Amino acid sequence: MQTDAILHLNLNRRGGLSRRNFLQSAALGIGGSSLLSQFRLHAEDLKKEGRSCILLWLAGAPSQMETWDPKPGTPNGGETKKIQTQSPGVEIAHYWPKIAAAMNEIAVIRAMTGKEAAHERGTYHLHTGHRMLGIEKFPHFGSVVARELGDPQSDIPNFVSIGQTLSSGFLGVQVAPFIIDRPGLLPDNVVNSTSNLRQRRRLALLSQQESEFAKAGATELVKEQSELYQKANLMMTSPRLKAFQFDDEPAVMQEAYGKSQTGQGLLVARRLVEAEVPFVEVRSTGWDMHSSVFSSMARRAPEVDQGLSQLLLDLKQRGLLEKTLVLCMGEFGRTPKINARGPAPGRDHWVRNFNLLMAGAGIKGGQVIGKTDENGQEIIEDPVQVDDLFQSMCKAMHMDADMELHTPVGRPVRLVDGGAVIKGLFG
Amino acid sequence: MLKRRSSSQWIILAALICLIISVPSSAAPKKRAAPKTPPLNLPPLKTQEQKMQLLGYIRQTMPTRRIAQRINFSSADLDQALEQELGPAAQTLAQTIDDETFIRRVSLDLTGQLPAPEKIEDFIKDQSRGKRSDLIDELLESPAYGRKWARYWTSVIFYESEANRRRVDPQALEDWLAEQFNKGAPWDYITVMLISATPERNKAVRNDYGQDFGPNNFVLACENKSTELASQTARIFMGISIKCAECHDHPFDNWKREQFHELAAFFHPYTYKMPDQTDPKIQTVVQPRFLLGEKPHEKMKADARRVSIAAYLAYNPKNYWFARAYVNRIWSELIGDGFYDVDSLGPDSEVIHKPVVNRIAANFRYKDFDPKWVFRLIMNSKVYQREMRTSNSAAELFTAVRPSRLRPDVIANSVENLIGEDQSIRKEIMQAFDMNPSLPQDALEGSIQQALLLMNNQELQTRLSQSELKQQLIKISSDTELVDSLYLNVLARHATPSERERNLSYLRDSEKREEAVDDLLWVLLNSTEFRTKR
Repeated sequence: MQTDAILHLNLNRRGGLSRRNFLQSAALGIGGSSLLSQFRLHAEDLKKEGRSCILLWLAGAPSQMETWDPKPGTPNGGETKKIQTQSPGVEIAHYWPKIAAAMNEIAVIRAMTGKEAAHERGTYHLHTGHRMLGIEKFPHFGSVVARELGDPQSDIPNFVSIGQTLSSGFLGVQVAPFIIDRPGLLPDNVVNSTSNLRQRRRLALLSQQESEFAKAGATELVKEQSELYQKANLMMTSPRLKAFQFDDEPAVMQEAYGKSQTGQGLLVARRLVEAEVPFVEVRSTGWDMHSSVFSSMARRAPEVDQGLSQLLLDLKQRGLLEKTLVLCMGEFGRTPKINARGPAPGRDHWVRNFNLLMAGAGIKGGQVIGKTDENGQEIIEDPVQVDDLFQSMCKAMHMDADMELHTPVGRPVRLVDGGAVIKGLFG
Repeated sequence: MLKRRSSSQWIILAALICLIISVPSSAAPKKRAAPKTPPLNLPPLKTQEQKMQLLGYIRQTMPTRRIAQRINFSSADLDQALEQELGPAAQTLAQTIDDETFIRRVSLDLTGQLPAPEKIEDFIKDQSRGKRSDLIDELLESPAYGRKWARYWTSVIFYESEANRRRVDPQALEDWLAEQFNKGAPWDYITVMLISATPERNKAVRNDYGQDFGPNNFVLACENKSTELASQTARIFMGISIKCAECHDHPFDNWKREQFHELAAFFHPYTYKMPDQTDPKIQTVVQPRFLLGEKPHEKMKADARRVSIAAYLAYNPKNYWFARAYVNRIWSELIGDGFYDVDSLGPDSEVIHKPVVNRIAANFRYKDFDPKWVFRLIMNSKVYQREMRTSNSAAELFTAVRPSRLRPDVIANSVENLIGEDQSIRKEIMQAFDMNPSLPQDALEGSIQQALLLMNNQELQTRLSQSELKQQLIKISSDTELVDSLYLNVLARHATPSERERNLSYLRDSEKREEAVDDLLWVLLNSTEFRTKR
């Protein structure tokens, strides 16, 4: 194995980094408390279940009234009409005919209520479950999933994001998102043209070079870098790399997801989930519609409509949907009242009520949870807090929402601070 | 300095001095009906020159100027002050670095570039006593110094900016800053230029928002939004985090939500309204007020108000945060750890070894905010010249220098040092090694992409294999000399005996010498040391 060379780190007492230590810390992610060992046993069981999560992030915060909570015929409704879906009684905005046809798989949460009406802060809240207060950098939910459900020795990253996203925060590089920009192609620089033998020799020399630098006082940096090189090396020869690449994907399937960045990203997501990657994020941008909300929505919606509906269908047909949580959301909602901006009116930031979609992983489809009033101003039934959402995400992933994470200084923090699983979400 | 002063200028001067010096006094026992404020007859403050002239007057009245001549704070004083603060931890001070580690460290820090092999040899041979100090002076005078720090500050200003790219010009800002740093412009002057800028849109020209003029770009990076300007001014120039106070009282600090909005009002061209915490539809008018309570003249126009914020920021002697924020940033960059996280200071009690940083900051003010003075002070100290070591406990901080990740532009320079200029590789490195310049070193992480880029990038490998450096290396007939030259060129130091031995046996065991040289280059390029300041 090529990576043996890089693993072969034998430092003296002063360096404090032996091969055994290295493997242990790599396996555990963080240093060992007694709780952790029990935890690990539990985690092994979890990994066998093969649960995954795909997050489709609509960056910029899509309007709830132009997505899953239309209010036609009211002062705030605007030009948006509503359409009937596959599930009787569930009506959504007319920009989304294909989602409407897949509604049996989807639970619509119409009564989300948040606290952060700025993009950066909302993004943080909805990705980590924590608000941006103080200096603690909470991990992306994907990093927590990668740590809990991923294989630490995996030959491809346990968390892939198609498009930039948040970091693993205090959980570190082991579970950091691996980011790609162009779906359907191999990640940059994974191909090495050097012969195996030569590469092995190079790595062996490198590891000796590294151990000397570690001894000179850079233990932590060398340790991190060795982990990264180990992962990079595993990845370069991984048979699962082909999950990133469409060479063996029928053209019909590529068409079915739509040729857009989002559609192709979702196809990569399905392929990665098939390859047992536990968390994939797909970023779709352009949802910050302060002006021209109706025309922009008509332009942006089809890509997501096609890609997401096809993803659900595809996952279902492959028997993956029952183990895969699919989430589609943005950072908050938009003002029910239409503004007076030029060239055409739009909607501004609004966090008091917004909506999102959840599917798969035991979630009961074809239902709507929560209700807003006629004008879309207030929640009148079953409000859902971000904590409740994270409780539900954890339940779908069979993860313990009360688990403690440890910051680098050892301060324990709970994965989710409070809340309860959304009532009626699971069948 | 102006020779003649017209009477109207004196009036301005007097008015502004009153603004600066008067810290809100407790109100008179009985409130009388407030007399109508007379209008303030300031001349137009449209151009930067006019603004700077006004600020120049204010600067001259700084009380600190008078005592400055009598004050001295040397690198030795700094070492003494710190060792006193460190207490028992001073027993574990790391050794002083050798000459070749020093020249690499100081070159990377001041210029972002590795020293050339001849320069290293000359420096080692040099027998003069003050050679380290002389080298610092020499590098501070090189154009690369201004460029390196201009890049740093441009990145600080733009890293989290969400401004539309067509409306900003980070390059213009970088060029302007480089010029300022190189000519030794004082930090207060630079800051004041940035904060008081009032970029105007030229509607006749497409996408012209005044971004061509470098100093306009701080305001443009904040999209000219009052709230953003308030939080970024506090973050970058005072090192305090008041952003959360936009929505609610700071959870563990003194900054109140109202204070945040009072600061934002300062930047607002008209009447500023603070949205209600629970119902944003309800809005209340808020009067501008600086963080320490300073109020601008009621009748001040928006332009003059910006000048006055800049004055309150830089010249109110009670605002020690201003000088300290600069000192802490430079210290963090040079030592690898700060007295506090550079832009997220909560309550002042989070500052470690506060007396030390406050003393440096106070002296920075006495030295007329001369940026080069701070570099000289720190770099000539023993603190800076210690070997690296990672310390994760607060007690051990500053007993050694933290091995720090080099910034993306510095890594790109080091790579170009090996392969020659290459725009596409530079761009890839800038992307893969991208990092937030305001995050502390211990929060930074490497990535798999970085490893893959340096290991496998085809163009990089080809260029490395065809590089002038490699051609030179293979021409050296003695393997020992080859290895020495390799280490000097790539890592800017001599190989240690064990490294030399290892590399020599690698060369011996390889069938093709040329391929082996490629391998050795590859190994050093991929070493942690290559991307680290040791």
